[in-house]
Amino acid sequence: MRRPQALGTILCAGAALAAAALFAQPKPAAIPRTPDGKPDFSGTYEWPKAAKGDASCKCSATVFDRKYMAPLKPGGEPFLEPRTGDPRHDEPRDFCMPAGFPSGMLSANAMQFFQNKNYLTLVHEFQRMTRIIPLDGRAHRKDIEPSFYGDPVGHWEGDTLVIETTNFKRWSLDDYFYTDPKEYRMHSDAMRTIERLQFQDASTLSYVLTIDDPKIFTKAWSQAFTIKARPDWDSTGLYEYICEENNRCPGGQCGGQ
Amino acid sequence: MRPKFLLSGFWVGLAVSSQASGHHSFTAEFDGNKPVKVTGVVTKVEWQNPHVWFYVEVKGDDGTVTNWGFSGGAPGQLMRRGITKSVIQPGMTILVEGFRAKDGSNNGSGGRVTFPDGRMVFTAGSEDKTPEDAKGGKP
Repeated sequence: MRRPQALGTILCAGAALAAAALFAQPKPAAIPRTPDGKPDFSGTYEWPKAAKGDASCKCSATVFDRKYMAPLKPGGEPFLEPRTGDPRHDEPRDFCMPAGFPSGMLSANAMQFFQNKNYLTLVHEFQRMTRIIPLDGRAHRKDIEPSFYGDPVGHWEGDTLVIETTNFKRWSLDDYFYTDPKEYRMHSDAMRTIERLQFQDASTLSYVLTIDDPKIFTKAWSQAFTIKARPDWDSTGLYEYICEENNRCPGGQCGGQ
Repeated sequence: MRPKFLLSGFWVGLAVSSQASGHHSFTAEFDGNKPVKVTGVVTKVEWQNPHVWFYVEVKGDDGTVTNWGFSGGAPGQLMRRGITKSVIQPGMTILVEGFRAKDGSNNGSGGRVTFPDGRMVFTAGSEDKTPEDAKGGKP
């Protein structure tokens, strides 16, 4: 009896070690860190890209894959909204309205991050979108108007930066309407987003975006993306992007040449 | 697109978008089932955000002249790939392959530009429909 017991113990211990080796998060060898020891995301990056095999969009942007989304809430606000023929509703970016978050964040343009102890500032070349994330532990602002990019605050969970954003105005969720120009995918003004940003390796960020929109979905849902560092883009940095420079639809009145 | 550009030396990726508006997309504005192929002289280049536009004067066999407008990506996207505004300049004769605007106007997405010396400039982005897609050459 002793022998089998001993063997079982050894086997269990071996399995536990193997599982630990399989699932252990290897500590990134040399990720950049700030003087206070936090991961330092400062640098130039590509836009968030979906995993291989996830739905794509022929629209110069990453879009959410429907398979990750939670079921729609019965009786909830409409998720898909048809076009109406009014450009102000159908395609606000035609006349240079903001893409909003998260849609703009997923646009296929370069990004540059700047970080210090109190802030992470994300600048996206598309529409020169700027998101300033306080890292000093403050709470969300109160009594402000809902906005295109919401009100973000960040905190650290180990080496993961967690950004919670609230107070959005109802707007398009992503660039899905470029895939199916008949319909939009909308988020409501109750949307809350959680971004989890961490180094996957020294030159790749893991970026998990959670959409919690109780007016539209039965529960929160998440999709994982990766963001590649592009130090070779550092020398030129971001280029200007002033949509109004050659806006063909000033005031929503679209013209030709 | 970067590897393709590096390999060929001639292929240049642009993110194609709108035909007659600020910033928008291939799908919304262009008909992927209506390819267009014209040869003409570049009359104007707008190297501006949100999308580069270039215009081509095309002479028909019967002597009629048609002005076509083609859109490309944002200048920043192009410059990051090493493409400057000198690539397409007024006075150049070019062959443009792309897709017509859905509204039937003489605007289009400039999917690909070929110069008289054979150089080709691929004027569609990594995620937009290109002449290669129409041939089934790209998923």
